[in-house]
Order: sequence, then C-alpha cells, then structure tokens
Amino acid sequence: MKQIKLHNLFIALAFVTVLASCHKDKTAPNTETPTAERAGVYVLNQGTYGNNNSTLTYYDYTTKALTADFFIAANTTKLGDTGNDLGIYGSKMYIVVNKSNLVYVSTAKTSKVLKTITLNQPRSVAFYKTNAFVTSYNNTVSVIDTATMTITKTINVGSSPEQMAVVNGKLYVANSGGLDYPNVGTTVSVIDLATLAVVKSITVTEDPVSVTADTFGNIYVLSLGIDTKDKSVNPGITIINNTTDVVKSKSDLNLGYNVPIYAQGDFVYYPTADNKIAVYNAKTQTAASANFITDGTVITTPYAISGDSQTGEIFVTDAKDYSSNGTLTAFDKTGKKEYSIVVGINPGKMALINK
Amino acid sequence: MKKPILYAFNCPGFFPGCFIGLIVLFLSNPLFAQSDTTKKLKEVKVKSSAIPQIQVIVPSQSLSANEFIHYNAFNVADAIRDFSGVIIKDYGGIGGLKTMSVRGLGANHTSILYDGVQINDAENGQIDLSKLNVNGIQRISLYNAQPPDILQTARAFAAASVLSIETIKPGLSAEKPYLVTAGIKAGSFGLINPYLQWQQRLSGKWAFIINSYTINADGGYNYLLFNGATNTKQKRVGSEVAIQQVDGTLYRTDSNSKFNLRINYYNSDRGLPSAVILYTPPPSGQKLYNRDLFLQSGYQHKWNSGLQLLINTKLSQNQLRYFDPQFPNTAGVLDQHFSQREYYQSAALTYAIKPNWQLSYAADLAVNNMNADLPAFRYPTRLTILNVLASNLILGDLTLQGSLLNTHLHETVRTGTTTPDRNIYAPTLIATVKPFADKNLQLRGFYKYIFRAPTFNDQYYGFTVNPDLRPEFTKQYDLGISYLKSLNGLFDYLGFTADAYYNNITNKIINIPSLYNGYARNTGKVEVLGLDAGLKTQAKLKLFTVTLSANYTYQQVQNVTDPAETIYLNQLPYTPKHTVAINAGISKGAFGLYYNQVISSSRYYGNDNNSFDYMPAYGISDASVVYKGAVNHFPVSLAAEVNNLFNTNYMVVQSYPMPGRSFRISFQITI
Repeated sequence: MKQIKLHNLFIALAFVTVLASCHKDKTAPNTETPTAERAGVYVLNQGTYGNNNSTLTYYDYTTKALTADFFIAANTTKLGDTGNDLGIYGSKMYIVVNKSNLVYVSTAKTSKVLKTITLNQPRSVAFYKTNAFVTSYNNTVSVIDTATMTITKTINVGSSPEQMAVVNGKLYVANSGGLDYPNVGTTVSVIDLATLAVVKSITVTEDPVSVTADTFGNIYVLSLGIDTKDKSVNPGITIINNTTDVVKSKSDLNLGYNVPIYAQGDFVYYPTADNKIAVYNAKTQTAASANFITDGTVITTPYAISGDSQTGEIFVTDAKDYSSNGTLTAFDKTGKKEYSIVVGINPGKMALINK
Repeated sequence: MKKPILYAFNCPGFFPGCFIGLIVLFLSNPLFAQSDTTKKLKEVKVKSSAIPQIQVIVPSQSLSANEFIHYNAFNVADAIRDFSGVIIKDYGGIGGLKTMSVRGLGANHTSILYDGVQINDAENGQIDLSKLNVNGIQRISLYNAQPPDILQTARAFAAASVLSIETIKPGLSAEKPYLVTAGIKAGSFGLINPYLQWQQRLSGKWAFIINSYTINADGGYNYLLFNGATNTKQKRVGSEVAIQQVDGTLYRTDSNSKFNLRINYYNSDRGLPSAVILYTPPPSGQKLYNRDLFLQSGYQHKWNSGLQLLINTKLSQNQLRYFDPQFPNTAGVLDQHFSQREYYQSAALTYAIKPNWQLSYAADLAVNNMNADLPAFRYPTRLTILNVLASNLILGDLTLQGSLLNTHLHETVRTGTTTPDRNIYAPTLIATVKPFADKNLQLRGFYKYIFRAPTFNDQYYGFTVNPDLRPEFTKQYDLGISYLKSLNGLFDYLGFTADAYYNNITNKIINIPSLYNGYARNTGKVEVLGLDAGLKTQAKLKLFTVTLSANYTYQQVQNVTDPAETIYLNQLPYTPKHTVAINAGISKGAFGLYYNQVISSSRYYGNDNNSFDYMPAYGISDASVVYKGAVNHFPVSLAAEVNNLFNTNYMVVQSYPMPGRSFRISFQITI
C-alpha cells in the first residue's frame, strides 16, 4: 500500500514542484545570428521521475534523422534523472539535470560532456557575457564562468527558484516557493549583472514559475497561484517594466498544469488550461489570440514552447499522458502545422543548434 | 436496502458501541450451552491433507504453513510469488513494499481477507504484503473471482480476486491444554526475528491464541548500478526496519457455533530509501512509520434447519507517517501524517432449500474516513453498503453458482465538493462440470463483473477533485480445466489445472497532473488475454519423497485506450508476458531439501515498450534445508535458507535494486 502512497507522494510533489515548474524560456536566444543556418534541434526530455530516463533527442534538419538519445550515443553514459533545462551558449551546451544534481557543460554540436558541475537540485540556466547562471532548490543562483566551467559565485535568492530571464543588464529570478506549498513564494529577485548582487525583490502573483522578456521592455511572469481553504489566488501573469522594475499589470489567466512562456517578435505565447496556445501582443499589450494553432492540430498536453526567430516558426511539445513518448510539432508563423516528430517522455525544453 | 442489517441488531453497525453490543450479545447467548468438545475440535481443525485443493468451483491456489519453508517464505508476498497469474511488485529489501496484481488487473482489484474479513485500505486500495508476516498463518489461498463458500461477507464477493489468509486455530485437548511455539529467524541484512505463539485452552469451549514477533534488521545490501555500458557497485542504505506485531484472539467453539474476538497491533518503523538516482549518493533517511490497530470479531451459527448465520465486525485505525530528511524545501524535511479509520459490520445468512441448493444473502456496511496534514485536504468519509444475493446449485456433475452484488457508495467531505452517490449492480456466474467418464477431470468457467471504487488518494490527494471520477470496472471471462487424481503407486497424486482468460478494464483510473497536483481521470482501457497453468505432484521413491509444483503464466495486458496513440496495444508497465515458477522438494525422514525457481520474461517499466523502458528477464533461485525432529519429545525444526542463490542483480521496479544472495537460519521449538 505504501508503494502507492509514496509513489503518489513523490509524483504529487514532483507535479507540484518539479515538473510543474520545469519549463523556462529565457530571453530571446542571443547566440543566434540572423544568417546562421540551423543544423537541427535538440529536445531535452525529462523522462519519468525516479526512472533515470531523461534523454536528449536530436533532429537533424538536413538528413531528417531523428536520434532518440543523442547524449548516450556521444557519452556512453545516461543523462540522468529529470533533465530540466537546456541552453546553448557559444559553442557549449548546458544541460541542467535536476534529480541527478548536476549540470553538464558539453560541446553543443556533439553533446560530448566537457565538464560536470555538481549542484543541489539545479533547475534552470541563463547566460550573460562570460557567465552562465543556474538556479537551484537550495535557494541560490550559481554563477558559472563559461571559460573555466567552474562556479565562481553563489547568490542567495528566494525559495525554490525556477526560471530566469536576462534583459537590460539584469537577471530576473522567479522564486516559486513551490516546495513550501502552501507557503509559496511571491517574488521575483532582480540581480544586477554587473555587481552580481540582488538589487530588488518584486512582488508578483503567488508561486511564480516561468519568466520571459520581450523586446519592448517587458518581463512576463507566469504564476500558478494557490488554492487552499485558507487562501485562494488564481493563477496569472505579472508584467514588469524592465527599466523601472515596477509591476505594470497583474491579471488572472486560465492556466493549466504546464506554464511555459515564450516571447518571439511581437508576440508572447503560453498554453491555457484547455490546452490551447494563447498569444499576447507584446507591442500593443493586448490579447492577440486564444489559440495560435489555426489548422485544427490538437496538442493533447502542451509542455514546452519555443521558436526560431529566423523563420518565425513556433515549436510546441506535447507530453501526452506524461508517461509515454511525446512529440514536437513545428508550426509556421500563421499557426499551421509544418511537421511533427516523436521525442521522449515529458519533452520540456528545446534548443536550436547552428551549423 | 440499507436498513435491514442495522435493524437486525438494533444499532447502527458502524459505531463502536455496536461492537461492544454484539460481543455482549454473543457472550450471553444461550446457544453457548455445553456440548461435545471433541466434535467441535474436529470441525475447526484445518485439513492438512497433502492433496492440493485445486478443484473448487473457481480457480484457486493455496499454500499451507508447513509448505512456507519450501518457498523460503518470510512474508505473504514470498509465499504466493509462485502462484499462476500473480505478479508481485517488489521495491526490494526487507522493508520494501510489496503488492500483488492478479491476472493483469492491478493491485486494487484483489482484496485480502484475514480470517474472512477484508484488510481494507481506503486510502490507496493496496495492501503492502511485506507487512503480513507468515507467523501465525495456517493457510493462504488465492481465489479468482471469489471464494467458493457462499456463506461469507459481502466484501468477499466484491473484488476481482481474493487472497484469503487463515490463521492457526486452536486444536488443544484437556490433557494438553497449552501449546507454546517459540522460534527465531536470523540472517543477512542483520535480521533478527524472534516469535512466540501461545495457544491456551481455557475450557471445553474457550481458548485463545497469542501470536507475537519482532523483526529488526539493518536492511543494507549491495547491488550493481548500471549506467549505459558500465556498472558500479553501490550499497542500499537506510533500509533498516524495527517491526513489532501482536495478535491475540479468543475463540469459543461448540457443536453448532463459533465465535472469535481478535485484537491486532502492528507497529513498524521502516527505512524506505527512495529510487536510486544516477550521479547522486544513494538515497537514505526516508522513513515510513506504521501504527495499525484493529479489533475483529466473528460469529457463526448453524441451525439444524439448514440455516447458517455469519456475523463479522471490525474496527481499525491505521496511522502512517512519511518522513524525508532530504527534502529541499525551506524546512529541509518532508513530514506527512495520514490516518484512516474503518468501522465495518457484516452479516450473512445461508439457507439450504434442498441438500443440493443453497441460497445466501450477505450485507456489509463500512464507514471509512481519512485525515492527512496536507494543505487543503478534504477529510473524506465514505459509506459503503453492500448487499449480495448468492446461490449454489449442484445438479449431478454440474455445479452452478451465481451472485448479484449491489454496492451503494456515499461520500462526504468536510470542505469542497465530492462525487455523487454511486449505486452499482455486479453479477458473477460460475459453473463447473464433470462431463467425462473420468470424474477426476473437471471443466470450469466463470464470468465476473466487478469494480473498484476510486481510493481516497485517487479522489483527494490532489487539491483538485474530479467530481466525475467513476469506479474502475473489470470484466473477467475464464474457461479452465482441472485434473486431480489420488494415486497409490509411485505417485501420491497428480494435479493439473489450466485456465484461459480474457479480462477487460474500462474507466481505468489514471492520475494526471493538474494545476496544483495530480487528479484522477477514467481514461484508461485495458485488455488482458491470459493463461494460467499449474502442475502439482508428489512421488514416493524408495528412499525419498519428491514433491514438484510448476506454474506458468502468460499475460498479454494491452493498453487499448486510444487507437490514435503510439502506445495503443502496448503491454502495460511491469507486466512480463511469461512467468514460470517451479518448486521442487526432496525429503527423507526428518530432512527436506527444497528448491524454488522463479523466472520472469522481460518487461517494460513504461508505456512506450522500447529500448528505453526495457527491463531484462531474470531468474531467481532459492533453496532451503529443513530438519524436523524432536528434543525431549518437543517438536523442533531447524532450517537454513539461501535466497537469490546465484546472486542475480535485478530490479522488479525501475530504480529500486533488489538484494543479491542472502541467508537465513531459523530454529523453532514447540512445547
């Protein structure tokens, strides 16, 4: 009997804290050059909690070859448990593996590991100049020198920090507090990237998880809210002015279990509880569309959203039943399906790799 | 429909007061007049004939106390692991959780009866078999569909299969009014397990049995952790256990009635290390604390008119605490408490209309509630009312049995909404026939429609309650053949059974994450095609007696939820298609040597059925040597056991490595 209890317990906790907040989409990738030609796309699949079955799927644009786990092919060892974030910066790829307590720094093109950095339940990665920043459940942001691949500084933030966005010389960190449920977090920490010190704490809607920045001076924070008998706050979005670091607006959203958010061009994309992809116009600060997908394509469980700023494509992964292989579907900028590929279990993050 | 049983005893059966009331009623009942004691003793004595009881009306398999050692059985899970159709999910180690699934239906569809009364878990619907030590158990039987005797609780009709555990009953005489059995088992993992059984005759009618034991072990073991092409040796740590259990039962027996009153307390502190995660130190420190108490009482009376009455009452309280000292929240720990209570009352009547035609009616009432220190927990209370009409008819070589179960579920919660009432009818039809000249050959078949209600975990663990959550339904169709012959030559007997079955599950409850937590939906459909086959025989050679038991199971358990999905028709996780179990023994005089082999084909731990969720086949061998003799006329037994003889490294559940070779010695004396 306890088997199920623990199972549920862990799964539930995982749902609340690990998976629920597994997505992040930082500011627009600055590694891309407009003329670069894409080699393909990596998809980091979290796998199922406790099963050590996180995988890195690679889809080669030229050969159309799909490698279910590029990581094990390159390294002969498994990726680990709950690969939660993936970022390509310069020639290196950073893979954040939550339950295995490590960050891999690898060669982006081959995924061959150059260095393994141990961290306590790392969650997300972001980049600025010569540093990579990794949030961890020990309530810190670790600063990793991208040349030496070592931690040079540890910055204390709020509890259970999740995703980050880099913009305007600042790092915005969502302090979810999800592991302290129901005493969830309500802040976004602002770190000055010149001094590497927290300069401000912005109050946002309860349980902030996902953060992204647009090119119009706004930070978007998605929060899960809270629902207990003592306190009930709807999930919602907080929009912050990245110059003044003042909250511009807070509004309730009909969010589901997964809350990736992604900004590309004039628009911000996030999934809603009815498994549609809502579009927000960043330029006019108004809702643009209730569903980005225009050709009737159904995504059962939208799990991650990303895109290609060169082509205007938007990628949406589908986690299906959370326990079997998902898919990645590419849409053109008008919301029509281009193609779909089978990826791994709980595909939580994508990254484009240039030739 | 809900009332008759309550009125019959003039009290609402689920209040503690009623329990006391019933006991008083029994004790003052004039039926307990003097009567022949020896006759009674014969009645209650458990038949320990060597011939297996395989030809009951439903497919059944059983094992009795003297056979436990043949299977190196320390707990009930070990004892039944050879049974056809049974898959044990084992998280490994001495305190590791073990649950059973029968014929591909999932652990929630088998109910476990303890002397006829269900061990219920409203919280998650699964019983951890590692908590059931074989100490004090006389016989364990598995019945597909339902037990054959129609004089039983309504709950016994209310599961897809039933594991029936019968405890040792008193069998004492005035000349020897007591029997004390003391023993100790010790071995690998730092195991020390002393136990004591005291049987005492109080009078011609009254007797009691007290069973108690403690188990202490550090639980540690080595395993290989595989990673790609490499593997590393690691040690499973933090799996220490400290368990105490005491069970005291008072029996009263006379020529036409039986009464028992039991109190059982189980206390355990178990280290329960979580999944082994690559690149991190082995987990440790996770603990599970159980404090389980129950009171159970049964009364059975037989009138000369052919009327029989069976009354059972149970009150139970289960407390569970889960503690994780490595939890990365601000407090640094996760400490959760759950408790559940059950008030249960059952009454059953059978009447023999004719010698070959019996009718029965059983009604059960259960109230279950649960507390948990989870945020926004809803504190559910469930009222379950079961009514069953059953009949058994024997027409020459044909035996027919049918039952119709009505279940009424009513749920209340302290806060928020819950599911509406459910009222469900579930029929079962069973038939056996001996159409051939050789009356040792029997054909049998059954159809059973039954469901399991959503558990409290399904319904309330998440913060989002799905008010549309319905029970999970199963349909079982079985067609089988059995052959049993007593022989006088080389072989003592020969028993063979084979059953083919088709089962399906609809409204399978799947836990899906929601905004704050998981919530359950009835989205799954499953189809099962299976074959259970068993062979049992015993031969007397010149010098030795040889026993052999072999079981084979084929299970195709397919996900048929959505034809559009890639996982359509895939085998469900943790379901090997083939399992083989062989048990062989050779004995001479006081000595016996036994060997057990379990083979499981490859399985998948996920839905995708590809190389990523593949788990290889394994075979596990166990052996034991037993000496049964006497010291100063006191029976003693000595045994040495080797588990996992060939030190196979394997996992039943992904990321939960199983122990390698281990040893156990035991000594027992009866005074």
